[in-house]
Amino acid sequence: METLSTATELEWLGWTFYAGSAGLVLLGCYALFAARHALRLLLGLFLLESGVNLFLVAVGFRPDAAAPILVGEQAGSMVDPLPQALILTAIVIGVGVLALGLALAVRVAKEEGTLDLAELGRRLAATHTPATAEETLPQSGRTETP
Amino acid sequence: MNASVLMIALPLLAAFLLPLTGPLARWVGPFAAALNIALGISLWQTVAQEGPSVVVMGGFAAPLGIVFRVDTLAVLFATALAALVLILWPRTSADPRRESALLLILLAAGCGLAFSGDLFNLFVFYELIAVASYGLVAASRERLAAAAGLRYLVLSALGSAFALLGIGLVYALAGTLNLADLSRHADALNSPLGLAAFALMLLGFGVKAELFPVNAWVAEVYSTATARTTALLAGGVSKLALLIVLHLVLLVYAQPAALSLLLTLGLLSIVSGQFAGYRAADLPRMLAYSSIAQLGMIAAAFSVSGEAGVLAGLALALHHLIVKPALFLVGDGWPKCVDSLAGLGRAEPWRAALFVLLALSLLGIPPLPGFWAKLLLLKALLGMGEPAWNLAAAVVLLGTAIEGAYLLRVLQTLFRGTTNAKPATFGGALPAGVLGVALLLVMLAATPVGGALQRAAQQAADVPAYVADTLGGSPQ
Repeated sequence: METLSTATELEWLGWTFYAGSAGLVLLGCYALFAARHALRLLLGLFLLESGVNLFLVAVGFRPDAAAPILVGEQAGSMVDPLPQALILTAIVIGVGVLALGLALAVRVAKEEGTLDLAELGRRLAATHTPATAEETLPQSGRTETP
Repeated sequence: MNASVLMIALPLLAAFLLPLTGPLARWVGPFAAALNIALGISLWQTVAQEGPSVVVMGGFAAPLGIVFRVDTLAVLFATALAALVLILWPRTSADPRRESALLLILLAAGCGLAFSGDLFNLFVFYELIAVASYGLVAASRERLAAAAGLRYLVLSALGSAFALLGIGLVYALAGTLNLADLSRHADALNSPLGLAAFALMLLGFGVKAELFPVNAWVAEVYSTATARTTALLAGGVSKLALLIVLHLVLLVYAQPAALSLLLTLGLLSIVSGQFAGYRAADLPRMLAYSSIAQLGMIAAAFSVSGEAGVLAGLALALHHLIVKPALFLVGDGWPKCVDSLAGLGRAEPWRAALFVLLALSLLGIPPLPGFWAKLLLLKALLGMGEPAWNLAAAVVLLGTAIEGAYLLRVLQTLFRGTTNAKPATFGGALPAGVLGVALLLVMLAATPVGGALQRAAQQAADVPAYVADTLGGSPQ
């Protein structure tokens, strides 16, 4: 890392973190508002989460500090360890939710034959309008019995 | 070990040991929930005698360490959630073991959320609740349940990312995430950027709290998930999300701009929810929209600074926690379309009578508890003495009028004409009956219940005591 040794250059690195996180967040938001396919939406979500995580890293970044790991006797300042602990948790949660979302998407694709969430929303809205609701007998449709 | 920690550790332990319990599996969950209620009651007595306490984790004092704050409000929410989980425990299920595990995780995370005194811990427990609720929603056998679950997951995960961004901004501005410490540094957040952080967190936590711009999932999920899951989400989980909002406005964002933002979102929820409820043609959707409006009222109550707002919001929250799950359970198994309900009042008199009782309390007819909750809300809103809050009181009254129009339409349909349909199975008779009896008990014991809520609100609104308890009066 000889090219990034001076303080000003390292400070510049901190700002690229902020710029990168803003870019990722905006890209993720764009994907979430423009896309309708579940896989694209989940990808957009992942970009957004990465941007947020990078933002947290940037918050704790200090240009003149080392990584917050104690190795033997060590003096000098370290970057703020708290945001790093936070994003570890946030990354794990994000991966878990993404995996669950993909599993649900597989099930939806098998059941409905589409992953277009806008189309699925239309189908959900159409299920219970009076025109299509053909409910004559009270069935135990919503109980837990199989 | 403190009972508050056990209330999280035991359900979590039970959830992960569930696969090993063999034939006992179906009893583990209800037992853990009952144990949580017992722990909650013992904590309630401790708090009543000794006042609020702070549990420090891992030997690091606040603000560096993670703390639990055990006060009346937290104990009340944790115990109420455990009671709701126990009452709504599914008797039969397609996959009992997995569903039990999800319910136990939801219970543990809910208790953790109630006790957390730290913004990031609140977020983690909120996410844990969210993940458990995705699974519960998708476990329904109703057509399109998985589709509703997927749409819910995408919206909710988007909200969570926003909330995390807001939390990051708070940390960047104030340098701490401990609520008591943030309360001391509230000035650092009194800026446009600080307000933006609040707005992001409101959008994020507002997904579960069914707040205005992020509640599109509510009607879809509530009309496809099982009645018990719906009851749990509408009754318990939404209140816990609002508890985070309450912590934020009480301790950190007491600034007028933040309160106005919360009031605006609450009022928009009321108006949009009541109008959508009026237009809804089927019962689960109507109840879902009514739930949005009711939670909007709680948000409006929390936007009133001081004890009156907390008291009104608490009364509304507990009332809704009893009434709305019971309404969903009573309506479960009936035809979904409101027009097909005709004659059921005569065919199933007891069930219809329970529905009438619950609907009238939801509306706020005088001797029932719902009336006192709405009266407290109006008093709190008018007590602010500001034009926006006076307008809010008018909006609440207008909303109640619309709510009356559509709820009375259902009641009228129930007792009109006759039906030749066979009486439907009332799968939720026991839990709905228990909740109905609880409502009547609250009505009869209105004075002591009101006194207890008043003490809880007083304690919650006492911010200097909260800060001193948590930080041990350390120098500024």
